Amino acid sequence: MTRARALAVNGRSQAAGGVRGLRPGAGTGPDRTDPAMDWGQLDLNPKVVAAVRKANIHSMKEILSLSGPDLQRLTKLSNRDVQYLHKTVAVAIKSDSVVTALQIYNGQCPFPTQNQRLSMGCPVLDLLLGGGIPLMGITEIVGESSAGKTQICMQLCLSVQFPCNYGGQESGAVYICTEDTFPNKRLQQLIAFQPMLRADVPADIVNNIKFANNIFIEHVADVESFNHCLSKRLPILLSRGLIRLVVVDSIAALFRCEFGATDSIAKAKCLQKFGAMLHHLSHRFSSPIICVNQVADAVSDSHWAQNQLGMSERRVLPALGLTWSNQLLMRLMVSRTHICIESKLPDGKVCSSNTGTVLRRMEIIFAPHLPQSFCNYIISKEGVRGMKGTEV
Amino acid sequence: MQRDLGSFPLPPALRAKLIACGFQSAEDVTSMRATELSKEVGISNEEALEVLQIVRRKSSGEESQLSVGLPSFRKCTALELLEEEHAQGSIITFSSALDEILGGGVSVAKITEICGAPGVGKTQLSIQLVVDAQIPECFGGLGGESVYIDTEGSFIVDRVAEVAQAAVRHCHLIAESGRDEAQQEAVKEFSISSILSRIYYFRCHDYVELLAQAHLLGDFLAEHRKVRIVVIDSIAFPFRHHLEDLSLRTRLLNGLAQQLIAMANEHRVAVVLTNQMTTRFGEAQSSLMPALGESWGHTPTTRLILRWEGKLSHLVFATSNHQSRLQLHPPTHASVRGQMTRMGDDVVHWTLIQMVWGGNQTWQARGLLWIHYQARGWIWIAVGPGLAVGSVNPVGLEN
Repeated sequence: MTRARALAVNGRSQAAGGVRGLRPGAGTGPDRTDPAMDWGQLDLNPKVVAAVRKANIHSMKEILSLSGPDLQRLTKLSNRDVQYLHKTVAVAIKSDSVVTALQIYNGQCPFPTQNQRLSMGCPVLDLLLGGGIPLMGITEIVGESSAGKTQICMQLCLSVQFPCNYGGQESGAVYICTEDTFPNKRLQQLIAFQPMLRADVPADIVNNIKFANNIFIEHVADVESFNHCLSKRLPILLSRGLIRLVVVDSIAALFRCEFGATDSIAKAKCLQKFGAMLHHLSHRFSSPIICVNQVADAVSDSHWAQNQLGMSERRVLPALGLTWSNQLLMRLMVSRTHICIESKLPDGKVCSSNTGTVLRRMEIIFAPHLPQSFCNYIISKEGVRGMKGTEV
Repeated sequence: MQRDLGSFPLPPALRAKLIACGFQSAEDVTSMRATELSKEVGISNEEALEVLQIVRRKSSGEESQLSVGLPSFRKCTALELLEEEHAQGSIITFSSALDEILGGGVSVAKITEICGAPGVGKTQLSIQLVVDAQIPECFGGLGGESVYIDTEGSFIVDRVAEVAQAAVRHCHLIAESGRDEAQQEAVKEFSISSILSRIYYFRCHDYVELLAQAHLLGDFLAEHRKVRIVVIDSIAFPFRHHLEDLSLRTRLLNGLAQQLIAMANEHRVAVVLTNQMTTRFGEAQSSLMPALGESWGHTPTTRLILRWEGKLSHLVFATSNHQSRLQLHPPTHASVRGQMTRMGDDVVHWTLIQMVWGGNQTWQARGLLWIHYQARGWIWIAVGPGLAVGSVNPVGLEN
């Protein structure tokens, strides 16, 4: 069995804009931050073009950032000309036709939307999540240690490689490790037992997928190298279609050592920057981003009350605060319960001795399309399996 | 008016042509349209327009004449404005408590902002509103269409379909239990696909696209006259990253706010924006407040702040421009600090400094506080930037 490939892509260093791959479905209009903006491409009066060039305005972004009176002052054009200029630039940037929600519902719209999901590899968990993980946006899995976060991430890295009609994306995944080394042995075990976990997929399809070849592992120790990875390496892999899933395990570890107690503003800025980069990558390439986060204890009652975000009785808060929470599409919390069950399938028996495996719980803290609910699951040798009907 | 054409500041050549064709006074000219005038006199269209503009502007004076092609000032009284506002209607949410606190629903031609921590329900409320704007008029809605501008990518159409289904079911129940013919007719066309087909969706990936969309939205609303609500979810997200220059951000937000206000008024749409929360570090503790800065707080007419209270979402209604916060349930005990003057046996006038109730809610209304003795006890009415009423423990009155 081949080992999972470490990331060794020799990408050429890109220009300051990063890789300008085409957003799937976006119009191929003029690049609005290109310094050598060709105003002739727009439908404008030559005297307007001359005035704009003379006023040293180089991009469409600048035109829209200036108000009507400001533009008039800079270019000495009339009010009507300036309004027409604004409208023309706006049309060049937002040239898509009008889409209704019904067209999105029927899958007829020209740009990718949040219709599809990435399967978790287990039908019970997929039911909890309304089909699986949404393809665009950052999903966070937060929980205490040994709750099963890494296991869920590895299972997703395998499930993304299945064909689309079995809930995958027919593509690979990048696994960014920030603290421990990647659990390679466990990955090999999971790969070996995939046919048993995914009994819904025909055996010949499962056996034909070279799972290990499509998982790229990156070890990142600090903020700087994470930045490099996000801005240089990931866009290359994504634009070549080699990956359709990014896992960051974990994002909290990156920020634990670098920022002290007084650097909260710098930390917030850094978090916002990474969140924005991940968000843009995710939407540009329709690839889910899974970030693993850790929990911290609530310091005081008021701290808890302010930040608890409607969670249940445990007095723990996700790390990284409000800045990070604002970037997320969906937050899942995983935890261990006190119950042990025998790992028999499909339903287990509740027992009090330690012979079985610990029952764990996955809870939806927030998601735009799901109510707050939870589901129990266990971790067995073939992976993560949801358990329905167990009373906790 | 019988003013002579010679008294207007017209170019001499034009004036000569007009007089040669028999136009002597202002009235002769203003009764014609630009195309007719240009044909009669033999001048170009632009020149005819110029003539008409000069003549009308000068001669209108105190009267407001609604002439073709010239936007003149419409004067109206406050009573007319009030009646217009009442006639406009608002977007009901099918939740009577929320409608009550909003004064009937989300008002049209105003900007409403929804703020809250992640996961509290801002996107849900926005989705509810774009569906509710389409409720037929016989059920108390506006029967309009909706525009949804998504900057975060949290518009998941399956959820919208669920909300639409609930609204359809609700209307069906109302129609079946009542005997109204119009309702039963309207409910036949009110289905999930009709609702979804009337939500226009725009996706903006960054603030440049959002600014571009705002420029194009005016024309879109002029074409689709039935749109009654525009939701931008969220306005904070694109402006909070990739924008290091805060003064540029303030400038862009102000410009955007002006465009939205103008659009709301001109096209009679309700504009709903969702905002994020940010932490503000005070001396002793930190508190949550709406993002995008203090000056942005002046833009919305109404600001809704959603917070978690235990496991339930709690709605705090705050009008913009001042600091008062009013809790949803009237307080049962309040203590007041201030300057007391007795004005009579049953009216006490306070100059309010601070009012505390419930142990931890502070309301600082810099205004008058009238305390009246009613049959059941003392009630207070505070007149300040807002108006609030509650009951007061008489112990608090002793100064």
